[in-house]
Amino acid sequence: MKNKVPLFLLERPSSDSFIPGKGGLKISFIEKGIHHLADVIKTGYIQWETASSDNFFQKIDARVKILFLLFYIIIVSLKKNIPSEVLIGAFVFVLTFLSRLEIFNLYKRVLFFAFIFGFLIALPSALNVITKGEIILPLLHLSKPYRFWIYQIPEEIGLTREGVYGVLMLTSRVMNSLALSFFVLYTTPFTEIIKALKVLKVPDSFLMIVTLSYKYVFIFAKTIEDMHLAMKSRLAGKVSNAEGRRWIAGRLALMFKKSQQRCEEIFKAMLGRGFSNNIKFYGVKKLQTRDWVASAVFFIVGVLFLWI
Amino acid sequence: MHIPDGYLSPQTYVPLYGVSLVFWSVALKKINKELSIKHIPYLAMSAAFSFLIMMFNVPIPGGTTGHAVGAGIIAILLGPWTAVIAVSVSLIIQAIVFGDGGITAIGANCFNMAVVMPFVSYWVFRLIKGNADGGARLSIAAFLSGYVSLSVAAAVTGIEFGIQPILAATPDGRPLYAPYPLSVALPAMALEHLLLFGIVEGIVTVLLFRYFAKNEPGLVYSLTVKEA
Repeated sequence: MKNKVPLFLLERPSSDSFIPGKGGLKISFIEKGIHHLADVIKTGYIQWETASSDNFFQKIDARVKILFLLFYIIIVSLKKNIPSEVLIGAFVFVLTFLSRLEIFNLYKRVLFFAFIFGFLIALPSALNVITKGEIILPLLHLSKPYRFWIYQIPEEIGLTREGVYGVLMLTSRVMNSLALSFFVLYTTPFTEIIKALKVLKVPDSFLMIVTLSYKYVFIFAKTIEDMHLAMKSRLAGKVSNAEGRRWIAGRLALMFKKSQQRCEEIFKAMLGRGFSNNIKFYGVKKLQTRDWVASAVFFIVGVLFLWI
Repeated sequence: MHIPDGYLSPQTYVPLYGVSLVFWSVALKKINKELSIKHIPYLAMSAAFSFLIMMFNVPIPGGTTGHAVGAGIIAILLGPWTAVIAVSVSLIIQAIVFGDGGITAIGANCFNMAVVMPFVSYWVFRLIKGNADGGARLSIAAFLSGYVSLSVAAAVTGIEFGIQPILAATPDGRPLYAPYPLSVALPAMALEHLLLFGIVEGIVTVLLFRYFAKNEPGLVYSLTVKEA
């Protein structure tokens, strides 16, 4: 049966009815909270849906995918030229296409993060104030160079060839790393990812903590969203900043109490199901032929990327 | 504060994985000793709470909103060693599920936000609190623990960025990873956190602390546990 995300889950919560009027309804902290929480729940849901489909990369064992992710992310971090990064990017794009993921949605997210964390943050480093080199685009001409403590500002300020190359290199590296992470994430259920970490000798007790925590993040996120919506639906006037802060502090404290109560309940449930001090993750399957073939192919391609 | 992939050289992220690993092992051992078999659900719920703190947008003076990292208040509420695991798990989930912070940078991010921040916060709180049982001194201690811990963590992050051009550059001097030298990265990271984000962290820490100290003082680790 094909899963589809219900449309209502893809819609952002409406804020039309809360456009500040003369009354000065200031509830942006509630709106932002709801958007933030809705994004968390939506991301989890979309990931679960795309990861549980039956396409090329989804069929491969999670252990192979984890090793693939680590191997390729390390390759991306080791490469020192743009053409290699472009080739790796193209390879990930082909894998995304073969796995029938929604390319537009995945790359929209990748490009957004790469633009902010790769391009925008690194852009000022293209100036000759930071990276010395041949100026290819002069931007400002000062009457004389300035010196302040350990900082030097040259007479002519502009983008250097070396600086621009550095920015493009960093952006492509950030983009490839993000594309790889999202690709594996969108093709592997989170619980499988965690189980697969066993190949890296991560202790079972630590994996159990991460798995439990992940499940309860979504349960609590829904609870907090309900609290925000309940508050929003009861508001008829202005909320002062101080009142808003008190409300948030109260909700956070309530969440803390709830999480502590849940801890007791989960512990009793674990005891009731025969839990002992010895935690073991079961259900690890044997690798199939296609997993071995995929591993070999990814390894050979990875070594080729390292070599070029 | 979340370092993405691509900014740190292997010479930085590999040792930081190692350092974080040491703290995780010690933390798990310490917690296991204190809590025995109950530690799994306790840490899982603490990690979930650590994750959720960042979901709350807090109105701050000036008409805008901000959210905290939360490692400071977690350390005060649960103790620094529990905070190491709780914040680390929360950061690992953020990196794997939401792409917030890089996979190669998990060790560095955990070191900055799950090791440096909780320990600085906890000890600043204890130092300023002294023997006081209540009053403004406790609130000041809570504010400063959030403020100082985030600022120190930001400075450490700035140092990690700033040493990249020294550690990894082409023969002609072009940086291969984070491009800004220490003279730019450190002041940039430290100043923005000292002047803005540190204050938000301090406000959230003091708000939550006051609520707990008034209504649920028994749940606050740093008010109930006496250090040897």
